Amino acid sequence: MPMTRGDHIFVGALVAAALLVWPLVASAGSAGDTALVTGPEGVSSVSLRADSAFVVQGRIGEVDVLVENGTVSVEEASCPDQVCVHTGAVSAPGAAVACVPNGVIITIEGDGIEYDARIR
Amino acid sequence: MSTTLASAEDGRATRALASSRPVATGAVLLALACALGLLEASLPPLPVTPWLRFGFSNIAVVVALALGGASMAAVVGIGRVVLVSLATGAIFTPVFAMAATGAAFSVTTMWVVSRVPGLSPVGWSSAGSAAHVIGQFLAAALLLGSPGVVVLAPPSVAVAVVFGAIVGSLAQSIISRVQNEWTRERGRGGTTPR
Repeated sequence: MPMTRGDHIFVGALVAAALLVWPLVASAGSAGDTALVTGPEGVSSVSLRADSAFVVQGRIGEVDVLVENGTVSVEEASCPDQVCVHTGAVSAPGAAVACVPNGVIITIEGDGIEYDARIR
Repeated sequence: MSTTLASAEDGRATRALASSRPVATGAVLLALACALGLLEASLPPLPVTPWLRFGFSNIAVVVALALGGASMAAVVGIGRVVLVSLATGAIFTPVFAMAATGAAFSVTTMWVVSRVPGLSPVGWSSAGSAAHVIGQFLAAALLLGSPGVVVLAPPSVAVAVVFGAIVGSLAQSIISRVQNEWTRERGRGGTTPR
């Protein structure tokens, strides 16, 4: 029994279905590209896909956070050693900028496509 | 008198053959699946999609489904994952969990699809290949505790369907050879179980 007409239609439909679902899943998945801002006043989530700038109220003062081109950085902070400012812009999932004196931690959420294991 | 005796013995012999052949066929296909699986494990990963494989060992599972039905396909499909994992040292690791989930999805899907009229083993294998990838991604998402990896699934499924069709047509040629052989045997007075 050779490849049937049904096979052609079926295989074509499977490929088409996979390609059609792709954009849906892709948008749902990259929605994880957010920064989680944890401060003394609570936790909030910020999308990295739109540029923005905001101020987080810290324990000893204000922390100015800048979101630009999918990265997040601390522009200015009311802390003595400015470690958070010197950390620069981060974008990789799991990366963080912390302003410890202010009790503000910004972590990037989302799942990096990095391999832990490979199925062989 | 002597002819009746001979044919009675023939009957016993053919019954014994009929009951042992599925066991022998299943064992040969399981060995083939393991050999193909190990062979493929030793090949370098594919360039664009390093997490995908051709899945040549599914040739044996498709053949088992065509010749021995769902139970033989399950033995070959799941048995292969267990044996290859034992051989590569991956057994009971997360990798094993993903492979086993993929195999279970694949065998189940191929069995369901094989009941649809109008589809040949090429269609079964494509569906099985897609199901294997989906199963693996679901297992991966569960293991990672986050659904992020699923982003990779749709393009992987699209590629896997094509790989599955190639694997299916290879299986097809084995199936038709074996079936021809069994038909010839029946012509000579042998039996053809399933």
